[in-house]
Amino acid sequence: MEYFIQQLINGITLGGMYALIALGYTMVYGVIQLINFAHGEFFAAGGYVGAIALGYFSGIGYMETHPVICLTASFAMAMAYCAYLAVGVEKIAYKPLRKESRLAALLSALGMSIFLSNGLMLTQGVYDKIYPSELFQGRFDFGMVTISYLQIMIVSLTACLLVGLNLLVFKTKIGMAMRATAQDKTMSALVAIGSNRIISLTFAIGAGLACAAGIMYGLYYGSVRYDMGFVPGIKAFAAAVLGGIGNITGAMLGGLIIGMVEIFGAGYISGEYKDVFAFIILIGVLYFKPNGIMGENIDDTRV
Amino acid sequence: MKKRVLSMMVMSLILVPFLFSAVSAKTLKIGSMSPLTGPYASDGTDIKNGVWTAIKVFEEAGGIPGYDKIEFFPQDTACDPRQAVAAANKLINLGVVGVVGAYCSSSTIPSSEVLDEESIPMITPASTHQDVTDRGLEYMFRMCGRDDDQAPAAAKFIKEALGAKTMFIVDDKTTYSQGLADGVREASKKLGIKILGHEHVNQGDKDFSAILTMAKQKNADVFYMSLQGYSPAAMMTLQAKRLGMDSQIVTQDAVFQPKYMEVAKAASEGVYLTYGFTDPNTPQYKAFEERYVPKYGKIAAYATYAYDSATALLKAIKAAGSTEPAKIKAELMKLDYQGVAKHIKFGPKGDSGSSYIAFKVVGDKFVPYWEPATGLIK
Repeated sequence: MEYFIQQLINGITLGGMYALIALGYTMVYGVIQLINFAHGEFFAAGGYVGAIALGYFSGIGYMETHPVICLTASFAMAMAYCAYLAVGVEKIAYKPLRKESRLAALLSALGMSIFLSNGLMLTQGVYDKIYPSELFQGRFDFGMVTISYLQIMIVSLTACLLVGLNLLVFKTKIGMAMRATAQDKTMSALVAIGSNRIISLTFAIGAGLACAAGIMYGLYYGSVRYDMGFVPGIKAFAAAVLGGIGNITGAMLGGLIIGMVEIFGAGYISGEYKDVFAFIILIGVLYFKPNGIMGENIDDTRV
Repeated sequence: MKKRVLSMMVMSLILVPFLFSAVSAKTLKIGSMSPLTGPYASDGTDIKNGVWTAIKVFEEAGGIPGYDKIEFFPQDTACDPRQAVAAANKLINLGVVGVVGAYCSSSTIPSSEVLDEESIPMITPASTHQDVTDRGLEYMFRMCGRDDDQAPAAAKFIKEALGAKTMFIVDDKTTYSQGLADGVREASKKLGIKILGHEHVNQGDKDFSAILTMAKQKNADVFYMSLQGYSPAAMMTLQAKRLGMDSQIVTQDAVFQPKYMEVAKAASEGVYLTYGFTDPNTPQYKAFEERYVPKYGKIAAYATYAYDSATALLKAIKAAGSTEPAKIKAELMKLDYQGVAKHIKFGPKGDSGSSYIAFKVVGDKFVPYWEPATGLIK
């Protein structure tokens, strides 16, 4: 039982990060029906900006005295940076192709992904960038079950971001505009919703969330590397598809399921096939529900 | 008479290109293969820097008669067997006379076959898997030790110095890591250590929490971590300590890299690993240190072995007075001198002997801790 609970905690931590990345895929798909393959790179960029900011704060010794301020500032800076990066990418790589076939935009996304990842490699080097990880070193022990402060921090921050996103999408005017644009661009334009602005905003929010995941990833695993966006990106994409691409609740659920399946597969069956289990579940679900668990729906939950 | 002068002038004109080539620059081409990108880039770059330093030092000491330049072609293998074979082919096309590399055993094995077909000597500074030199290749040499020496040394250390009764093993399924993990498992079983589990993770994994939870539950005396580089090892150490795993972590030569402590920080304290013994007090080592450290920073992992590999190759070429592979090989086999990392003398298979001892992480240093013959080092 303790073993199960420990693995559950591991799964929630990992799944939460996947969910944050998956949201970006699903929101962008909801609005412009594009699989943004460059999304994983926003996650990597976030990890790097976080490392640079936290490294700076820790270098000037501010980290030890005011850890919360430093962390908040780093998250804010990195998320703002990634949001701008995503808006820029959208303007350069996707907007000119919006009227073209979907395939053109998809290829442009793949190209952008390679470009950004190599850009990161050239500017930041091929080595691991190390996180100052003096933060949150402690842990709680309940018998055999261990929860580290870092895990608590990650899970609670993820929960806050997910709740915040839900509020934004379903309770505010901006969210309503986003949902309207997702349903019908022409119609929403007729009621004075600027679709370009909404699309940019969607990219920005998605990238911001991925960026937060990137910083948490860096804090949790101790270092980041330029190619870190690829594998989590693919898994988060799988999570978005599993939940029903275009559906934000689905993406959160899908992320958690992929994370759990991976951990439980590794913990109970075998570590070497952990990636396989995640994709077996994906295939299994899509076989019975081709639109994913929550379905790619046309009602108002789509963004 | 005029005609004769003219014809002589014409004759001499024909000779010009020959004269020219005799005086002009002749370059000797040396290649290296190591991962310069990807997770093992630091180790790969150390190898490149080691070879580069060797070439510089050798050129300053007079170089090779008949050649006024040694050209160096470092290739990136990314620890990928396919890319390694492509790199080997590229080096063949460039016309290199010898290659230092590769790093990952899984890269060295296929690429050495390509080089061997062209009779190009290859000296690996870092690939420890036994098959590297056990395949009977004519031109394959190894500067580092062998895993079938490392595994018994590690098992003996775990049994005698740590007094372990139980062990949990994890590897990441590369030729090197899995081969070594299997070797340690068998050697430990023979010494009466009970193996509580042998699990595998994938290359490139970052999250090891599931496997570590399993290992924590088994609560073995020793957690043997066989991974292909310092980076996953640091992540695994960090996560293991965060999870509150009490098993003593023991790992191996691929983790011998100061960056391991930079990433894992306090979590790395007290971790043991096996690595070849190098005497830091020899004049050769000190000279190398003076040369290398100001330019590239801390001496890590396989820089010394790469330096020795390149120096051995250049020495053999110089002694042979030719770039004919058979002659270079004959001279390589004759070598018998004190290098930076170890004493260099190749055996019939192309191995140069192993000298595995255990190191302990203390602060940000690897401190020699135990040797198989005499036990604990004071």
